[in-house]
Amino acid sequence: MKKVGVFVCHCGTNIAQTVNCEQLAEAAKTLPGVAYSTEYKYMCSDPGQTMIKKAIEEHNLDRVVVAACSPRMHEATFRKCVNGAGLNPYLLEIANIREQCSWVHSDKTKATAKAEDLIRMAVAKALKNEKLTPSVIPIHKRALVIGGGIAGIQAALDIADTGYQVDLVEREPSIGGKMAQIDKTFPTMDCSACILTPKMVDAAQHPNITIIAYSEVEKVEGYVGNFDVTIRRKATCVDPVKCTGCGLCSQKCPSKTDSEFECNMSQRPAIYSPFPQAIPNKPVIDQEACRYFKTGKCKICQKICASDAVNFEDQDELVTIRYGAIVVATGYSLYDYNQYGEYGYGQYPDVISGLDFERLVNASGPTMGKIKRPSDGQEPKTVVFIKCVGSRDANRGHDYCSRACCMYTAKHATMVRDKIKDSQAVVFYMDIRTPGKNYEEFYLRAVEEYGVTYVRGRVSRIYMESGNLIVQGEDTILGTQILVVADMVVLATAMEAQPDAAEFARKIGITFDQNNFFNEAHPKLRPVETFSAGIYLAGACQGPKDIPDSVAQAGAAAAKVVALLSKDEMATEPIVAEVNTNHCSGCGFCVPVCPYKAISLKTLTERVHGSVAWGPAGKEITRQVAEVNKGLCQGCGACTVNCRSGALDLLGFTNEQILAEVDSL
Amino acid sequence: MNENVIQVSGKSEISQIMREIARDLLQQKTVSLVIGWEKGILPNKSAPAFITQSHDTDKLVFDEYCYHNLTKYLLQRKGSGLKTAIFVKGCDSRSLVGLVQDNQVPREDICIIGISCPGLMEERNTVIPAKKCETCYTSIPVEYDFLIDCPDTKTGDDEPGGSFAHRELSKVENMTLDQRDTYWQTMFQGCIRCYACRNVCPVCSCKECCFDLTSPDWVGKGNNTSDNSFYHLVRAMHVAGRCVSCGECERVCPINLPVMLLNSKLSLSIEELFDEPPASMNLDDTATLSQFKPEDPEEFM
Amino acid sequence: MTMDNGQWTMDNEMQRQQGTSVRLDSVGKDWDPKILVFACQYCTYAGADLAGLSRLQYPTTTRVIRVPCSGRTNPQFVIRAFQKGFDGVLVAGCHPGDCHFSTGNYFTRRRYLLMTRLMEFVGMDPRRFRVCWISGSEGPKFQQVVTELTDAIRPLGPNHKLRDTELSSLVGGIGR
Repeated sequence: MKKVGVFVCHCGTNIAQTVNCEQLAEAAKTLPGVAYSTEYKYMCSDPGQTMIKKAIEEHNLDRVVVAACSPRMHEATFRKCVNGAGLNPYLLEIANIREQCSWVHSDKTKATAKAEDLIRMAVAKALKNEKLTPSVIPIHKRALVIGGGIAGIQAALDIADTGYQVDLVEREPSIGGKMAQIDKTFPTMDCSACILTPKMVDAAQHPNITIIAYSEVEKVEGYVGNFDVTIRRKATCVDPVKCTGCGLCSQKCPSKTDSEFECNMSQRPAIYSPFPQAIPNKPVIDQEACRYFKTGKCKICQKICASDAVNFEDQDELVTIRYGAIVVATGYSLYDYNQYGEYGYGQYPDVISGLDFERLVNASGPTMGKIKRPSDGQEPKTVVFIKCVGSRDANRGHDYCSRACCMYTAKHATMVRDKIKDSQAVVFYMDIRTPGKNYEEFYLRAVEEYGVTYVRGRVSRIYMESGNLIVQGEDTILGTQILVVADMVVLATAMEAQPDAAEFARKIGITFDQNNFFNEAHPKLRPVETFSAGIYLAGACQGPKDIPDSVAQAGAAAAKVVALLSKDEMATEPIVAEVNTNHCSGCGFCVPVCPYKAISLKTLTERVHGSVAWGPAGKEITRQVAEVNKGLCQGCGACTVNCRSGALDLLGFTNEQILAEVDSL
Repeated sequence: MNENVIQVSGKSEISQIMREIARDLLQQKTVSLVIGWEKGILPNKSAPAFITQSHDTDKLVFDEYCYHNLTKYLLQRKGSGLKTAIFVKGCDSRSLVGLVQDNQVPREDICIIGISCPGLMEERNTVIPAKKCETCYTSIPVEYDFLIDCPDTKTGDDEPGGSFAHRELSKVENMTLDQRDTYWQTMFQGCIRCYACRNVCPVCSCKECCFDLTSPDWVGKGNNTSDNSFYHLVRAMHVAGRCVSCGECERVCPINLPVMLLNSKLSLSIEELFDEPPASMNLDDTATLSQFKPEDPEEFM
Repeated sequence: MTMDNGQWTMDNEMQRQQGTSVRLDSVGKDWDPKILVFACQYCTYAGADLAGLSRLQYPTTTRVIRVPCSGRTNPQFVIRAFQKGFDGVLVAGCHPGDCHFSTGNYFTRRRYLLMTRLMEFVGMDPRRFRVCWISGSEGPKFQQVVTELTDAIRPLGPNHKLRDTELSSLVGGIGR
């Protein structure tokens, strides 16, 4: 015989003023299964909790209902309390008679009647409650960071510094990411390479960091603490152990193709490192550009290599490694401005993107840092900058603001004024957004000290006239049309999710938003966690971000990883789905509805009785049944509704418990 | 697949071809059981036949009284790995696809002999075409290993979500709310909860049915209108997006309840709401309620 | 409840015989419907708590069952609620895209788009059954939805559709 104790809280006068608590406690005594009932001014207080514990012992209570504030407030408190008296914490139920009763009603009779019903429901459910125990899963103490940009590098360094092993996977031949392409950083105008490359070296030399470059994550299986990640190491055709990184092969390579690192503004050989400070500084062969792979002839690099490192037989390799935690730092991509007809669909060579400009102005870039316009190599005197290209434009681009463009445009305009004598820099803008430390000051300096012209308005068209670019726009402050004869136009293109972001998210089991940026678990309170336990986010893969924000987020993600890895094992919430294999027909309808890929089918062998001669009567058959991975299951219960036979049930919210609540009224 | 299509000149030849195929399959031990139809004891009623010996294959017939959808018998060999050959009409083939999709029957264990169907006669009034044939748009099986292709193929005037189903539904939809209430109240009151509709339903393939369970006690086991209503509504939801409109539930109902109306209502709603093809038209389909589109209609804001 | 039990049963029988709904005049203006709410704990339940924190007043007609996700709300629970004598049911969860479990409410939406059509098809008054999205920050919306639902159901009178009258006559009006 189950014995329920009901404890009604007055919450001072919060509950008692609209609900007759004494009457409630009396009425509760008459409910089936209730062996004890009482009320008290503050149940959550020390004396209140002592009262509950004492009652459990004195009256041998095996279920407890606390009628008080919302379970979102004090369920944890009272669970701990009943556990202190030797009861399993999941034998507790809360009747929410404050937030959902006394605070929202004024008629004391009706409110008391409702509170009675709420207690009746809680008692009915409590009678069906069962002991639940968390299961324990081991934590594998190794972390994976996916993406070797500044966010990934920072996260890897921060994790490695605490003593845990980190693998840093990068799909390009070198780590460094977008920041390696950038010339200077706002608002300090530090040289980007000067602050990035030491970090790259640190990562390479760190005893706890293994850089796995020119590789991509192929598959993620498992769950928090135990991810089995399959990584594809793309064939580099260069043995990294033998290669000394002398660079002779690159110099002699006769095959040339556009350099991605230089935004296609110069050529690179087929056997290449993307940039001089690349890490690892071992070249790879781009098989699509290589003459040998295209024609079967050449092999100059192999002949010239003193250490015999070139191996044309090299194949892609799949390795599977177990990790306890994963940081996703896959970065962003840039909006393709060729979709903008008014900016010439990419036909005008002197209309370039902000990143192109970074390379043009960089001392080791295609023009050795001299700003020369792409069409004829002349130094441009008038440079027009257009902001929000693809940002804040729902029609052709994205709704959102890309956050960094206002600042880097101010930086670019400053650099034009600084580097080119008698130059003019004109910026077309919608708004100026400078929310960062020293950002507004930086923008003001561009206007006041460097004399950059800011025009508020959109550009409606760019066209060519007698060899000049004509930028036609509107100055909405003056309310006039303006034409600017420009030598070069720089577009501040939107930061957008990587083209394969959605596919990647599905692969590793995280979610993404309408713009394909990865979802954080909570926009305010869990900004670096994902909905999948053990997977964290850093950098612009979560949304447009500048460098300091990316670095800060990387540190935060690293702290989460370290907190996880510092434990040997972790307890999982016992509110998970459970399969009754006797009822399960193995139809698999539960499998696709699970957002955590926690359900799989396993095969059972059993002896069956049959009624027909041509059946397998008396023989063994194999059949499939659903199996829930308790480490992955987060307890949403979506599977239980798709299970027609009710073979799947959600512990803590079972079909029987919910039906008991419905039936109790 | 083409060499496995056997052309016949008329429906009278179908039975003969069936026997030949069945005999070959049994003799070559490709399968250990053939499920088909044989002449019944009563005139105008053919019965399921389970043939394990090649010399018994002469019993097989196909005529306008082969109502039975045989596919559900496959569940009795579930998990045994035994190979079975089964005859399917167009409508039956979809339920077989459903069983494969529901992971109940491995496709490789089944030899499907399809018959492009010349149409059936009504069971209780054998001079008019069967009601389910009026709504038919898949007289040629959607999946088969062998196909007995008959030129007399009869397809109803219908297409997916077509006029016949709409006509039937509109009879109820045109009623007022109160009239509909009374209509169904009467229907559900009449139900004797014999579960024939469930037992015959080829997509009701659960190992244990929720209506049979006592814990949780989803539905009272007695016969009362409220519980009868629960049964019919929940069954309709359970087959939503999976019902292949074979009409067997309605055919077997001993008191002629219009059970298919509920299923048709949901099938047509699925088409309207989610723009999805009818269930189990091919093996790669995913069930409606196991998937979603973020851009599904939004009525609940 | 102010409703008189004897009166209640009579109404129920009367309209069952006549096949018509009970109207406001026959049940009295002070009759309160009983409404069951299935609220997902991350959004709607939190929204209801917020309504409480903000002291937003609404009728005492609702009883909330907390579920982890609206995707946990089996349509069978809804029918059961009508069987057991509730006059209205509300299923509420996070807005699409906001689900704590990322996709649960998308399945809810599909399922209940069908369910609402089926219920209406068999003669259930659509005003008695609502599905809606109420986020954790929408305390006022929770107040508004339950108030509207109560106001919509009150003139309809007690629900008889699907109701297990054999049970209700036994216990004399579902514990009212």
